[in-house]
Amino acid sequence: MRKAWLAWTTVVAPVLVAAGCASYPDEATTRQTTEKMVGEAYSGVSPALRKRAVQDRSQQICSKIGNAKLTQQEAAEVAKLARASITYPASGKLVGDWKAGAKLAYSGAGQRIRGGKLEKAKENGALCSNCHVLDPKEVNAGNLGPSLTGFGAQRGNSEAAVKYTYEKIYNAWAYSPCSNMPRLGSSGHLTPEQISHVVAYLIDPASPVNKK
Amino acid sequence: MPKLRGGLAAVAFVCLVANAHGQSADPMAVGRQMLAEDNPGELWVERGKMLFYQKRGPKNTSLETCDFGLGPGKLEGAYAQLPRYFADTDKVQDVESRLVTCMVNLQGFTYQQAIKDHFGTLDRMSDIEGLVAFIASRSNGMTMNVPLIHQKEYDTYKAGEYIFYRRNGPTDFACITCHGDDNKRIRLQDLPNMTDRKQIQAVAASWPAYLGTKSTVLTMQNRLYECIWQMRLPDLGYLSDMSVALTSYLNRQGNGAVIQAPGVKR
Repeated sequence: MRKAWLAWTTVVAPVLVAAGCASYPDEATTRQTTEKMVGEAYSGVSPALRKRAVQDRSQQICSKIGNAKLTQQEAAEVAKLARASITYPASGKLVGDWKAGAKLAYSGAGQRIRGGKLEKAKENGALCSNCHVLDPKEVNAGNLGPSLTGFGAQRGNSEAAVKYTYEKIYNAWAYSPCSNMPRLGSSGHLTPEQISHVVAYLIDPASPVNKK
Repeated sequence: MPKLRGGLAAVAFVCLVANAHGQSADPMAVGRQMLAEDNPGELWVERGKMLFYQKRGPKNTSLETCDFGLGPGKLEGAYAQLPRYFADTDKVQDVESRLVTCMVNLQGFTYQQAIKDHFGTLDRMSDIEGLVAFIASRSNGMTMNVPLIHQKEYDTYKAGEYIFYRRNGPTDFACITCHGDDNKRIRLQDLPNMTDRKQIQAVAASWPAYLGTKSTVLTMQNRLYECIWQMRLPDLGYLSDMSVALTSYLNRQGNGAVIQAPGVKR
């Protein structure tokens, strides 16, 4: 059914265009003209900052119109690139200080640009509470991502649980390709040490995340 | 005027704080409702109306003969059909880029003069925001009906759609990341699901809007700028094609909505 419709439109569309009727441009044309358009939209800032709007390979794959499903091959490529991007703290310690992690988890600061100038922040926040409930007592939390209350209480603090948590924060796409979550470590937004603090905040039994 | 707005901001703030502890599914709803009943955006509409009919610029001319798509001087319903293609500029334009075209061509402002201080602040109302609020309000009660006729309208619409799904920047965000599901929030900020017909219509019908948190009217260009800022992308060029394309996509999706501008938001 769908195939027949496609065949029909591919026959009819050029006829309509030839007859002077306007219609949707094809995908390749849209990509080409719009990429140029995006570049021009940011022409007022330095090339170093403008680079942010240029997509890497994974972002390209993850930008499907209508959130169309990834092919198996695409998902595998994104996961592979994500896995290859992950680095660990020089100390080898994946669980840092949960109190430092708490501060990071509730900070939405860092990296914003206004008037061509980069925001002045002591350090980038981990942005967690923008999208996740963490400490059940904190009302000001988003719900774009799942609630992480009781994260450590549920998963424990085994080596495997710690490694998973660290890697998921470093590059979520290693586990769920193209998920909504930013690749916080791979993009350079957080350092491996900062991520280890956030891991501690999620895992440590003393953390408010795991208190009833 | 700043005093009055400061007062309004204080009222808005009290409402927000009061409701932040409300724990309802939509903690901001009551505050918004209170604001909507006494729309501070009307101040911008009044000022915009004054500016629209005032003789201004090097040519000492009003904007009365500006063509917003339905013919020179015809404002009623014009905003409901924007963005659209304009033959004289050979471009698809939104209300703001069209307004600036008229400020340049009719009133003799240079482009730079026309767009100077385009975003207002707490202490300074922007002329453009007032004018846009006024022009949009002349379509109130009418149905959003953004045309897809000219090839460039099709191209622009598709570009907007492409950008809506285009992930980029240090956060890997696209518009769809935050605006693709029902009942989502960033912290306490509600996020409309722009893939849902009803919700995108509510968005299209209510911009420009008065924002309680900023105590000013924001145009769509300004609103998109703020989204892009939050996504950690560089400053979105004012009146850029990208800005117009996104607006084309969003407003066209909102076709059928009954316009009530300026809206009132958190």
